[in-house]
Amino acid sequence: MSDFVQLLFNGLVTGSILAIAAVGVSIVYGVLKLVNFAAGDFLTLGAFVTVVLSVDHHVPFIVAILIAMLTVAAISVILEFALWRGLRRSKAGTLSLFLVATGVSLIVRQLILIFFGVGSRKFDIDVVRTFEFLGAQIAYSQLIVLVFASATILLLGLLIAKSPLGKGMRAYSDNPSLASVAGVNVDRIIMATWLVSGLLTGLAGVFQGMVQGSFESTMGWMLLLPIFAAVVLGTIGDAYGALVGGFVLGLVMELSTWHVLFGGVPASYKPVVAFGTLALVLLVKPEGLLGYKARSI
Amino acid sequence: MQAFIQPGFWIFVLVMAGIYCIFALGLQIQYGLGGMMNFGHVGMLALSAYTVAILVLTYGVNIWLASFIGVVIAALGGALMGLTTIRLRGDYFAIVSIAFSEIIRYIIQNSDTFTGGTQGTLAIRTKDGGFHTYTESLEPVLTKIEEFFQPVFGDTANRDFAMLVIVWVAALLLLWFVSRTQKTAWARVLRATREDDHVPAALGKNVFMFRLGALIFGSVLAGIAGVFWSFQFSILAPEDFQTIVTFYAWMILIMGGATKVKGVPLGALFFGFLYAGTRFFEFPPFTWFSSSERAYLRIMIIGAVLIILMIKRPQGVFGKREEMVLES
Repeated sequence: MSDFVQLLFNGLVTGSILAIAAVGVSIVYGVLKLVNFAAGDFLTLGAFVTVVLSVDHHVPFIVAILIAMLTVAAISVILEFALWRGLRRSKAGTLSLFLVATGVSLIVRQLILIFFGVGSRKFDIDVVRTFEFLGAQIAYSQLIVLVFASATILLLGLLIAKSPLGKGMRAYSDNPSLASVAGVNVDRIIMATWLVSGLLTGLAGVFQGMVQGSFESTMGWMLLLPIFAAVVLGTIGDAYGALVGGFVLGLVMELSTWHVLFGGVPASYKPVVAFGTLALVLLVKPEGLLGYKARSI
Repeated sequence: MQAFIQPGFWIFVLVMAGIYCIFALGLQIQYGLGGMMNFGHVGMLALSAYTVAILVLTYGVNIWLASFIGVVIAALGGALMGLTTIRLRGDYFAIVSIAFSEIIRYIIQNSDTFTGGTQGTLAIRTKDGGFHTYTESLEPVLTKIEEFFQPVFGDTANRDFAMLVIVWVAALLLLWFVSRTQKTAWARVLRATREDDHVPAALGKNVFMFRLGALIFGSVLAGIAGVFWSFQFSILAPEDFQTIVTFYAWMILIMGGATKVKGVPLGALFFGFLYAGTRFFEFPPFTWFSSSERAYLRIMIIGAVLIILMIKRPQGVFGKREEMVLES
């Protein structure tokens, strides 16, 4: 039983991080029809900027996190001007967007390696200190991540549901031409989307770094496919779906290692479990958990 | 600069280009004809290369038979991938196909006793209890080829030279074969399915089966590339089969123009030079960086080439714009 509580808690923590990152990817897809391959590396970038500022330069942790989030958001906005806008105007196809995003991701990852090195880094926080809850050992760092991630998710839900910006985003991703005819300021929506997505991605990277304890330049790429799985699971482009998908996937990944379930799968196979879940859902309900049609034939 | 005048360097570039040419040819079938954005292509390469190594080392199978089985396994991998993903829309297909190849890599990485795990195939214990490379029985064949060419080429005819001959003979044969298939009725239907699902379906064509066929055909080519890959390197490790290898193949395909078979070898040669050549950039500004940093720069250059290519010339150097814009 204590094992179950432990895994449930781990699942919620993983799920909340996946959910935040997945919303970042999903709103970009919804508004721009762009599968952002660079998201994983932006996650890593957020964690590295934070660690360099807070550990090497003694900037207060919270301030470092905010600067890291803003850095990722700023780069996302710059890329919008430098790349995506031009590609949209030239009516680039899915493949072009895919490959350009890949190119961006390759460059960002190499830049991280050049500027921050290959070694693993850790934040100046105590990841070992734990307390006991229903027989499970829960790290304070995990609890902090869960609390802040949940708050972020609530805020995000409100933003998307209630704010004019969120409404504009949803309107535009449902039907771009109708939205612009109805007076939605398209340029503003696109900018806001990149900004929000960048902030979320940077934050998710910091959270993941906190939970992992130590991390290196491949952290984001390792997480990217579970993030994509969460996005697709919750129907690509649907922000609420991405939240649900993230939590479902986080729980499935952690609980799959529970020994009561046929002995549990080895922990190193967790990403495989994520894709297995995705494949299964796509076979049964290809439109994702909440969504509409994904099948073409 | 010295490396550029050494034949050994150019031979290595050509061997890599040949292997990647065959590999990217698989994508030409899948994407150029079938319109399927397969980003998990490297999975099939890994399947066949590892099949060769494991069969030879663990079960003592003859390397030629093992190579054949390797290609068959790659084809089966392609079929399995197709059965689960073909019905998905383009962007979903792309994501799930990446997942597919990453699953293969994770399994290879984590099945220590079977594949050698992260230590690679050198860690596979053979029947006699020792550790060997699986290419031991291949070496005499390569030596014979070397000796055959030595009267003409002298010391240039080394092991890589023998590989160059084998790989490019195969690559040219496969190029010829694939360019023949482009004119068949099968290819015409595939091209139709690339543009639209419903019209070929209305004409009584089974779109699913055509796509599955293209996926398997492409996977066979990836499998053949995997066999040559295993021959060339003698040792395999899971990190050789990361998704970036698939992106290299995409770069080759796009550079040559996805709808043109003849673009593939040219794209592959360019890539081979970029990939191996940048290791030898020993003049400023490259000398400002350490050798490991130069490795990062190399990948950055490849990323930049991808971006510039997609922005300036998405149809590739030889491609037709009309044939590309229809897909999106």
